[in-house]
Amino acid sequence: MTVRLGKRTIRCAILSIAAFSSCFVGVCTQTANAQSSQEAIKLLQTMTAGDASTLAATIAIKQLGNAKDVTLIQTLSAMKGSTPLGRNWLSGLANSLYRKSGSTQSAELSKFLADQSQDGEARYMVFQWLTVKNPELRKEMLVKMNQDSSPELRFLAIDEAVKEKLEVKQLTPLLDAARHPSQVIYIIDKLKQLGETIDQSKQLGFITEWQMIGPFDHVGIANFDKAFPVETDWANGKLQDEYQGKKETVKWKVETTKAPDGMVDLATLFEKEKGCIIYAVNEFESDKEQDAEVRLGCINGNKIWVNGKLVMSNEVYHTGTQIDQYAEPIRLKAGKNQILLKICQNEQKEQWAQDYQFQLRICDSTGKAILTKGR
Amino acid sequence: MRLNFIHFRSAYLFALGFSGAMALHSFARADWPMFRGPNAGSVSLEAKLPTTFGGEQKQNIAWRTELPGRSVGGVIVVGDQAITTSSSGMDQRRLHLVSLNTKDGSIRWEQELVARGRPFCHPTSANAAPTPASDGKYVFAFYSSNDIACVDMEGNLVWYRSLSTDFPKAGNDVGMSSSPVVVDGVCVVQIECQGDSFAAGLNAADGEVLWKLDRPKQANWSSPTIVKMLNGDQVVVMQSSEDLLAVSPKTGKLLWEMKLKCSTIPSTIAAEGRLFVPANGLTAFDLSSVGTNPSKLWDNNKLSANACSPLIVGKRVYTISRTVLASGDLFSGEFKWQARLPDAKSIWSSPVVAGNNLYVFGDDGRCFVVELGEEEGKVVATNELGEAVLGSPAIAGNAMYVRGVSSVWKIAEK
Repeated sequence: MTVRLGKRTIRCAILSIAAFSSCFVGVCTQTANAQSSQEAIKLLQTMTAGDASTLAATIAIKQLGNAKDVTLIQTLSAMKGSTPLGRNWLSGLANSLYRKSGSTQSAELSKFLADQSQDGEARYMVFQWLTVKNPELRKEMLVKMNQDSSPELRFLAIDEAVKEKLEVKQLTPLLDAARHPSQVIYIIDKLKQLGETIDQSKQLGFITEWQMIGPFDHVGIANFDKAFPVETDWANGKLQDEYQGKKETVKWKVETTKAPDGMVDLATLFEKEKGCIIYAVNEFESDKEQDAEVRLGCINGNKIWVNGKLVMSNEVYHTGTQIDQYAEPIRLKAGKNQILLKICQNEQKEQWAQDYQFQLRICDSTGKAILTKGR
Repeated sequence: MRLNFIHFRSAYLFALGFSGAMALHSFARADWPMFRGPNAGSVSLEAKLPTTFGGEQKQNIAWRTELPGRSVGGVIVVGDQAITTSSSGMDQRRLHLVSLNTKDGSIRWEQELVARGRPFCHPTSANAAPTPASDGKYVFAFYSSNDIACVDMEGNLVWYRSLSTDFPKAGNDVGMSSSPVVVDGVCVVQIECQGDSFAAGLNAADGEVLWKLDRPKQANWSSPTIVKMLNGDQVVVMQSSEDLLAVSPKTGKLLWEMKLKCSTIPSTIAAEGRLFVPANGLTAFDLSSVGTNPSKLWDNNKLSANACSPLIVGKRVYTISRTVLASGDLFSGEFKWQARLPDAKSIWSSPVVAGNNLYVFGDDGRCFVVELGEEEGKVVATNELGEAVLGSPAIAGNAMYVRGVSSVWKIAEK
């Protein structure tokens, strides 16, 4: 009830400000109006989750939709540096502005698209506007976009390129350019058909060597948040050789997966145990300090720690999986980085709920593999 | 004094008339405003549709418009607009909302956003799985990634929320598909999964979360259903694998709830003061007592529905289990007849009824037309569209609008 009252109060305050600002805009000069629009754009750029910001943005976008001093290019440019939510609000405004006058602005839009320093999502939208009714122009432009800074445009360009029958010398640079796993795998398959040998797991940056221990008790999915001694010892850098497991004392084992998709099959390795937890450890050696992403595909409950910090926690079982299902940013140290996984299996009996597996890769924010030193 | 009074009264009536006209102007006529149409009934008794259409001759196809990406949701019709969603691009992160002119299928307006929630789904599904909803003033586009956008009838963005940003563990990588409903100025969404599992009422005008109700942490693809009670109140009924409940759309106040293991794909329907729930086959409840739990009238496991929502015509209820259409008595639950849909493979699209014919699409794009009789159902035609159909069609006037995975079709007698 208190929260509800609080929200109402915020809402009233925002509406009062909007009403005031609306009157204010009505009587002010063109300059003041422009400032007001700039403030409204700034508000959309910095959008965060929650009711208060949504209500404020609702008022701002209405104001901007009626403003005479807001241009399409200005709106698209504002997407650069905006929050993800902000980019969607501005994208919504840009779509409306494009409907009003976009077809008369091809030259400005082409210039915007050519500027790779602009926001990738905005440029993708512009590309679609410019080419939707001109398939020849679309094809012509995509030929030059294999290395585009926008992941979406790069994806489109590679999609278009691989439609052709290509030779090794054409496929190799495409493989270097490709970031999305589906495209990397597709190109590797094509290269294999042409007699080339490519290590897919390495190309995508999957970690293949793991030290693993378990099973630990997870009957009744009761221990997802229980810190077994492995967790605490790992955090303290003092892992023991053996631990008390679910049924007996368990020891570390080393597994090197040869699967092209980096999959580690825990069901096979741990005799289809159900209601259990397996820990997996890897020491990842980075040649420099750098930003990276840890990307996991796992159909079971999971947690990941990197250098002692919890970076991922998903208490979800048997609702689909794929490469890069979960992705979180991390900061790699120069030298050795400690990675710990906790993979939890429930006790569902259905045939489709028996998988117990994971695949993990380290890459940059675009999806390009970062390999451990010496690999 | 008298004159002043008359002037005042005239001015008042003029103002009233003006505001009424404004209201009529801003609220377009909603012919098929959300999943399963008016009252979630899936029925248009007055509509006259062709029984044969499509094929190589493109018989009775008024138009077909290809759209970007894919969709497994349905299309809605509001006035002269057929509105649908699709998702495209890398991981289907691009979210489209498109309005087509019903007359010729030309694109009237488009909106486009990027998914901020999890876009992943089974290969046969799509991020654009829920059917959009409209109250005639706004359109609400909801996606598996839990992004929701509200636009006006000209496609201008009114508000947008990423409910997966608000509630980060909301999502299901098989794909979500529960369609929103809009009632009493509130857009109700049902987001049930193993993470942040909830239902919420969002203010239609500005997206404020008016209420939020925690739901069982289990995957659920069924949609909320608007039910008009005998006292005239509209309530929202929701089902899950654990319960069945009703809330007030404006406040989220729990009006009643009961433990019941309901199906998690087909949705509930109400008619004749009764609620028909896909549970134990099909279970009927009496809704005549306001404020108390509905009492059970009957259940019949011969009337089960695995994917398609049930529908009601006259005194009969119809369900589809796999590829078999079944008919039962609305009041007693007695099984009446069943008809196998010939060579049907997989059916996800909930059927619709026009006149006395039931239309149901298989996911291979074949539409079975079944004449509904008292003692039997007779398959009178099988039509090929040549495009997979997983969403439920809409009926407006004497036309049926079908959302294929990559295009929208208008089917009407030529």
